[in-house]
Amino acid sequence: MISFRKKVIDTSDVMVDIIKVTKSYPPNVHALIDVSLNVNKGEIIFLTGMSGAGKTTLLRLLSRIERQTKGLVEVGGYDLSKLSRSKMQKLRRKIGTAYQDFKLLPERTVAQNIAITMEVAYKRPILIRKRIKKLLDQLGLQDKYNTPASELSRGEQQRVTIARAVANEPDLILADEPTGNLDHETTGRVMELFKECNKKGATLIIATHDESIYSNTNHRVMELYQGKQMFFDSQSKKRQLPSFVDELSFGDL
Amino acid sequence: MNFLFAVFQQTTRNLFQTWGSQVFTLLTITLSVLIFSFFYLVYSNMLNVGKQLGDDLRLVVYLDEEPGPELQEEYRYKILKFDRVDRIEFISSKDAYQRFSTQLGEDKDVLADMPDTFLPPSIEVYPVRSLDTLSRIKRFSDYLMTLPGVLKVQYGREWVERFYTFIQLLRIVVILSGTLLVLTTTLMVAHTIRLSLLSRQDELELLRLVGASSHYMRTPFFLEGAMHGFFGSTGGLFALYVLYNWIQLHFTGSTVLPIFSFTFFPPVILMIIISFSVLLCASGSFISTNKFIRL
Repeated sequence: MISFRKKVIDTSDVMVDIIKVTKSYPPNVHALIDVSLNVNKGEIIFLTGMSGAGKTTLLRLLSRIERQTKGLVEVGGYDLSKLSRSKMQKLRRKIGTAYQDFKLLPERTVAQNIAITMEVAYKRPILIRKRIKKLLDQLGLQDKYNTPASELSRGEQQRVTIARAVANEPDLILADEPTGNLDHETTGRVMELFKECNKKGATLIIATHDESIYSNTNHRVMELYQGKQMFFDSQSKKRQLPSFVDELSFGDL
Repeated sequence: MNFLFAVFQQTTRNLFQTWGSQVFTLLTITLSVLIFSFFYLVYSNMLNVGKQLGDDLRLVVYLDEEPGPELQEEYRYKILKFDRVDRIEFISSKDAYQRFSTQLGEDKDVLADMPDTFLPPSIEVYPVRSLDTLSRIKRFSDYLMTLPGVLKVQYGREWVERFYTFIQLLRIVVILSGTLLVLTTTLMVAHTIRLSLLSRQDELELLRLVGASSHYMRTPFFLEGAMHGFFGSTGGLFALYVLYNWIQLHFTGSTVLPIFSFTFFPPVILMIIISFSVLLCASGSFISTNKFIRL
């Protein structure tokens, strides 16, 4: 069984290590260009940028839904390009992902959708039920336990996706626009849930357009622009632009 | 939650989601097993009949003159060289006379004026009793005719040939129905599992993303196929048993089944048919999951 914590503690505190990663699609589309990112265990980091900047692509590379064209992607000390299929399956059980397109099973109930991540890890049914109820309480969906996912609003579906991502208490949580369809209050609930996971040791990488969820935090923010990266501190808003930025035209930044 | 519970849960879910095609597949397998096992039952009963009839089977080789001990040895050697036999008996003219006289019983007076050597000496060859003996009997007879001093070879040629042709025909029917069984079970199950897989593409995609193991994803489909095989074959054999009882009820004592007892399969054959069906259906499922579940 792969254990991030054990290996990361033994070797380094790095949970995610991305070095000069490029992702290109034929014929000549570059979704990511020479992106490097280092995320420590227990850290929360925000990915921002306009639509098409490469945020989702970066998250997809981290769970090996896609593979990079160039560069190195390591998660929990494992080079994903070299990881065997069975080890990747085990690794994915330690990564909770809240997808932008939700990936819910419409005919299944809310509880059944959330249970999936715990069922594949062979958690006991009683623990699964308990965990689901707790998560639904936290996200304000306590009356939706047996509601089919197809009958939920987009905001509710988004929360179910988030609940599913964190249900199995993963070591790494990847959230793609987790608050895109949520009001201010519900956004607060979701962020509280993420903080709780973080306190228990989970590392979070959150891709978002919503400046309000990171503007008053000390967490690092990485901005992507046309597949290239730039860092800026969220507190001071002072951009720490890498050298290539000079070559780009940032009229809107 | 352990692996078996998870697999069982998934399998049950699959069965409910595509119950229409599941029922259709089950009926097809049941029918295929019924057709195959019916012909196989008739065939195996015919083999028993052949065995019963074969018990009385012997070839009588009439000779032109009494063979001396050396010639007897030579005949024995040549006969054994061609085929395995149960036993060989040399019947002298006098022995043949005695037998005939005994057979005539009270009418043996008709032989009073006949010399006790008027019947030709003969060799009685008792082949090893099996169906193969029946199939080889003609060739054996032809061979015996080529031996020196042989006048004639006698056996129940006509019925042996007809019976053998019938057995051959049954064998072909059993092979054809067996092929039908293999094709229908494997293809139908593969097709049903494929439908099941296609209807659950989104779920399988999600399972891949959340790190479900290959066994977690494949085993429920494999189990589903095996269940088709088990319930389909059990249903088919049950239907055959009902049919068998109906035949027994309506034909026992008639002229159709007077000469032999029509028996049902022993438990071991039932187990083999069920196991074989389970294996075939599981194979069909394996083919589909291998093809359609990309990991």
